[in-house]
Amino acid sequence: MPKRKDIHKILIIGSGPIIIGQACEFDYSGSQACKALREEGYFTILVNSNPATIMTDPNMADVTYIEPLTVEAVTEIIKKERPDAILPTLGGQTGLNLAFFLMKKGILKKYDVESIGAGVSAISRAEDRELFKKAMQEIGIGVPKSGIARNIEEGIKIGLDIGFPLILRPAYTLGGSGGSIAYNREELEASLANGLEISPVHQILVERSVMGWKEIEFEVMRDCVDNVIMITSMENVDPMGIHTGDSIVVAPSQTLTAEEYTKFVNLSKKIIRKIGITGGGANIQFAQNPDNGEIVIIEVNPRLSRSSALASKATGFPIARVATKLAIGLTLPEVLNEVTGMTTSFFEPTVDYCVFKICRFTFEKFPGTARVLNTSMKAVGEAMSIGRTFREALQKGIRSIETRRFGFGSDGRDKFDDSSLKAPSEEMIGEIKERIRVPSDDRLFYIRYGIKIGLTNNEIYELSKIDRWFIDNLREIVELEEEVKKYRNVKKDDEVKLPEELLLKTKSFGFSDVQLAFLLNSTENNVRTTRKNSKITPSYKLVDTCGGEFKAKRPYYYSTYETKDESKPSNKKKVLILGGGPNRIGQGIEFDYCCCHASYALKEEGIESIMINCNPETVSTDYDTSDKLYFEPLTVEDVMNIVDIENPIGAIVQFGGQTPLNISGALSKAGLNILGTSPDSIDIAEDRKRFQQMLKKLKLKQPENGTATSYEEAQKVAERIGYPVVVRPSFVLGGRAMEIVYDEKGLADYMAKAVEASPERPILIDKFLEDAIEVDVDAIADGETCVIGGILEHIEEAGIHSGDSAMVLPPHTLGKDTIETIKKNTYAMAMELKVKGLMNVQYAVKNNIVYILEVNPRASRTIPFVSKAVGVQLAKLATKIMLGKTLKELGFTKEKTINFVAVKESVFPFIRFPGVDAILGPEMKSTGEVMGLDTTFGAAYAKSQIAAGQNLPTKGSVFISVKNQDKRNMLFVAKKLADLGFRIMATSGTADALKSSDIDVQVLPKLHEGRPNILDLIKDNKVSMIINTPSGKATKEDELKIRSHAILYNVPLITTVSGAQASVNGIENLIKNKAVSVKSLQEYHENIKK
Amino acid sequence: MKAILILENGSCYEGISIGTAGEKIGEVVLDTAVVGYQEMMTDPANAGKILVLTYPLIGNYGIASKFNESGKCWLNALVIKEASRIYSNYQAEGSFDDFLKKEDVLSIGGADTRTLAVEIRDGGEMLGIVSTQSTRKEDLLKKVKAAAVSYKKDYIKDISIKKPMKIAGSSSCADIAVLDLGMPNSFIKQLKTLGCNLTLLPYNTSTEDILKTGADGLIISSGPENDIALPQISQTVKTLIGKIPMLGISTGHEVIAMALGAKLKRLKIGHHGVNYPAKSPTSFKGEITAQNHSFIVDEASLKDREEIAITLRNLNDDSVEEMESKSLKFISCQYYPVSPGFDEVNSIFTRFLKLIKPRFAVKKRVVSKNSEVEHAKA
Repeated sequence: MPKRKDIHKILIIGSGPIIIGQACEFDYSGSQACKALREEGYFTILVNSNPATIMTDPNMADVTYIEPLTVEAVTEIIKKERPDAILPTLGGQTGLNLAFFLMKKGILKKYDVESIGAGVSAISRAEDRELFKKAMQEIGIGVPKSGIARNIEEGIKIGLDIGFPLILRPAYTLGGSGGSIAYNREELEASLANGLEISPVHQILVERSVMGWKEIEFEVMRDCVDNVIMITSMENVDPMGIHTGDSIVVAPSQTLTAEEYTKFVNLSKKIIRKIGITGGGANIQFAQNPDNGEIVIIEVNPRLSRSSALASKATGFPIARVATKLAIGLTLPEVLNEVTGMTTSFFEPTVDYCVFKICRFTFEKFPGTARVLNTSMKAVGEAMSIGRTFREALQKGIRSIETRRFGFGSDGRDKFDDSSLKAPSEEMIGEIKERIRVPSDDRLFYIRYGIKIGLTNNEIYELSKIDRWFIDNLREIVELEEEVKKYRNVKKDDEVKLPEELLLKTKSFGFSDVQLAFLLNSTENNVRTTRKNSKITPSYKLVDTCGGEFKAKRPYYYSTYETKDESKPSNKKKVLILGGGPNRIGQGIEFDYCCCHASYALKEEGIESIMINCNPETVSTDYDTSDKLYFEPLTVEDVMNIVDIENPIGAIVQFGGQTPLNISGALSKAGLNILGTSPDSIDIAEDRKRFQQMLKKLKLKQPENGTATSYEEAQKVAERIGYPVVVRPSFVLGGRAMEIVYDEKGLADYMAKAVEASPERPILIDKFLEDAIEVDVDAIADGETCVIGGILEHIEEAGIHSGDSAMVLPPHTLGKDTIETIKKNTYAMAMELKVKGLMNVQYAVKNNIVYILEVNPRASRTIPFVSKAVGVQLAKLATKIMLGKTLKELGFTKEKTINFVAVKESVFPFIRFPGVDAILGPEMKSTGEVMGLDTTFGAAYAKSQIAAGQNLPTKGSVFISVKNQDKRNMLFVAKKLADLGFRIMATSGTADALKSSDIDVQVLPKLHEGRPNILDLIKDNKVSMIINTPSGKATKEDELKIRSHAILYNVPLITTVSGAQASVNGIENLIKNKAVSVKSLQEYHENIKK
Repeated sequence: MKAILILENGSCYEGISIGTAGEKIGEVVLDTAVVGYQEMMTDPANAGKILVLTYPLIGNYGIASKFNESGKCWLNALVIKEASRIYSNYQAEGSFDDFLKKEDVLSIGGADTRTLAVEIRDGGEMLGIVSTQSTRKEDLLKKVKAAAVSYKKDYIKDISIKKPMKIAGSSSCADIAVLDLGMPNSFIKQLKTLGCNLTLLPYNTSTEDILKTGADGLIISSGPENDIALPQISQTVKTLIGKIPMLGISTGHEVIAMALGAKLKRLKIGHHGVNYPAKSPTSFKGEITAQNHSFIVDEASLKDREEIAITLRNLNDDSVEEMESKSLKFISCQYYPVSPGFDEVNSIFTRFLKLIKPRFAVKKRVVSKNSEVEHAKA
């Protein structure tokens, strides 16, 4: 049916900041939606609080709002823009919930806005546990026995009735947040309390546990004339009990018979009809009893999801694009399949390969939390790999995830070596079995050990409930490994003696050259040379949606070892872009944004763009972002294989974060031309000694520092420069293992731990500048000219990782002279390093002296934020510079000044890691960011807090408990809060300080002194904000309890003085201006031009 | 042991022998379905073919006798990327490997089926020879080229039931005769679900004997295409048109078309898989269908038969997927009317019952759980 003519303006809701459970897959889907709607001629309005997205680029939608995703802000946007329809199915759970609340509050009705994609009734039927259960029962589909609890008593009654173990799922939360398993009454009570609190509607589903069953997912789409198609099936390798977002997943399903498959398809079709989706897609999760085939439905997501992004990338079918077209009334037969270019979207994709998804975790960032996987999602990112067999895909997947593993073990990093596995101790057997039984991020490797110590497929199955088919495939890898070892070299530089046939077999099993080098006692280089001499190189095959049945116009590629290469390299001038791989803390969507811009710039310059990346959530792995996409791991071997075939003029490595940077040296050595700033300049910036020499030459200051490779050396350095010092390993991103050390004991502790954090590289030690203001500068240079993109002043004081700190642009407390000095320093370093492209400098300002903390001649995390604020697409310009253009030619020679304020705030995953202290430090912990835009600092800051989920209160009680040295600074804050009408509460120490300044304080007992204490008040919802600065390095137990309760009960928590000052500023603004003011990015940018 | 496939055009694909030894010639045909290897191998319509499965991992869930579409595997050879070493499914009765041995299937594993698929796509379906003997390639090529000159298929006579067989259903439901050219079990199962009383008839049953059964309707089943038995069958069917309501399935659909005077066309690459879109010419509504055929009805040769309506077309190539004539009382479908789900019935069977007599259809509506249309309205 033709597209709808009764609607013209459509509002798209984004998903907000990257959090666990909601990552860049919604940038991918939102961007596709914008493109799809504009193609059809609709006027698009977009709202998202996340500036690091491609979708918020001002040219993606007609009007773009970077505003908080709240009912209030979106209502203002609706009032202003008067859209005819709202498309809520592409913004994850956030978008869906927002639409749901807009509907509940009558906003949609009041302004006559229709919800398209998923109607309001469809959303309710899928999201409301009770309605869902009823709907499923009506069409005869089994649901696990369950009941809905609205309070703890009700929950216990239901739970005892069903019997343990039980699964608890709070309603309307995403990524299984707050979900848990209870084995007994005590755990049930605790889970109920937590879950009821977390659910925005205070409902929790208490459900029969189907742990250990197969977890099967289907992606379905339906149009308005009831055509229904199945995109793909997915089978979780990890059985029920582990959140699907944390599970290893394969597509298509591997262990279902044709009859079972048909049954699932049929059920899925019934479900999407019953839920009532009339123009869009859904993800349906089933559990199947592996012993008798019994099927129950777990849940339905009536929207684009992480799984649908995976399904999309796994099959080549652009689900988001098609879902958008269906939402405006088109039917599947009317939407072209752009991958084949000759068929329509009304078909079911088929594959001739195996897709493997594996997750990236960051437990190392949150010490103190159990390294165990369950129904609450903990992964921060994922990688997808493709192979012709499960084994090949698995090994590629493991190296894609970048945990420094190069495949399924035998890469020199195994916990147990073969000799110990041959004669395992009882204790070792026990440990291996336990780790196979209890799911964690490294369970796969324990299965390998299990195979090696002689456990059978059945034994491993009984422990893990992972299907025997997968286990046996792992066993085949292990068996081949044994085969290879027979050809082990005596000396490392001996010739590789592996017979050609066996070498080819290992490659087709997905073994990397690194693994083979380890097994053969050779080097990666020798293996590679031998391999190439024997003409054993990968052939690239297509993701083409149809198993080769139709010629593909826009396919993408994966490597395998077979007879014919289908990559058809062109003779055009081309450039490789190395992507960022899986998201993790410290490296996420910001870098994908930059990589996409590199691709857009290449297109504008008429150069073929070739993207290499393995992250299925991203825009960069969308089929139409680059001219060619290789869905491959980002290792030297995998990249060089592509280089050998494609012969690019060079590669862009400065946009993908640390991933490409880490391999750029090796790539350059292997003969790949690195575009932009030279590897030598990168080395100057990274190498301590050379960097110091440069600063000396330029007469620039840096905090006193030194390097050390042992504790003794470290001690000497620290004594020389004086405590406190910042210690960290070299070559890391996201402040991994970075700490502030206040004394010798702290240093000793650190050195003991840090050896594991970085074995080969030295430890860097810097003088810590207490109470300094940190400043981030993003600049662009072409070797002759350098232009500042933006100067960002950190709101939190020095010592907090820049990725975690709130920042404001333009700087709001720095003097003119300081800013001038910062600019001059930046220019000088850009010239000296002959930067061609982007550069980020971190400064610290103390007593008006500007210190240089570090220089990174590459894209920084703040590039998208700055680009959105000043209205200049810096990454795109930088790409063109790398291709030889000058800033003058590009027309960007003067920095932009803005007459508004942009605040960046970070969001944290503390709620996912119970037991972890919610404080900020030099190690980055945030998963994502938001942007607050407004005319004053207070207003912009307030918006950033609201957008980040910190609901700054306008009335109520504020609890203040700060360390001694902060007490003076806190007086002003407390006074201001009291003046604004807040009731101040404090424990005795802080209270005394406040009282002496005539502030009316209610004194609360310390936790061990009596009750009701602050914890009770938190639970009773009687505290509207907590200001608690940590009192030193060692966390006090009381403080930890207060902070974790604040997180659990979602009470705004501020842990720094500067954060408190800014918050008061924001609160004052909220009280003054009742309504949120909204302004589009295009309007802001218009003003810059004038 | 090595095994090799040589195409008529000289291309050569190597792998290892995973079934039994031997040497056989057949049409090389692709199937793009991800699951259903056992069903495909036992579908009589695949008799004599060298079947290439484009999905690389085969045998994962083993073999169970209930999934057989007929009494045996009819392939001349099977070409796959990888046979699973173990099987894992609670329903499995044996391994894929055992099945290949028991059914005596000449099979290649470890072949680059992707490259083979692309070659067939670009070059069209052609003859090939599979051999596990260490014969010289040139000799094999000569053999397959010689065979191509006068390649004929003659499988229906072996596949078809030898004597009429009755399967009792419900007394209140229709009596259906099935002209068995290779009727798959899964279609019979659907008719049983509807309660039909079935009489399976040998392919060469005469017009008189068919009418003598007193059946309310006749199904011309699917089976091998381009078989030398087909012209005679279409002659028989021609004499029956209008005398008994008919349902033609896949090859049966082609037989009805030929009986109506239409010609068949060979596709460059046939439709073999489970993801083919078929759409109503008058609306945007369609179905995703399973298909297994290399020929289609040449529409031009049917042009002057105005009493025939084309009710579904292939969305990709516009070929006829379904036709119907109220006056001639027949429905026929090029696609496979597979069950939409466990114990459910494809709507074409229910439509057929309705064509025979509305009372059966009413009865059937209760039984059929194919509720797609009802849901659409809801």
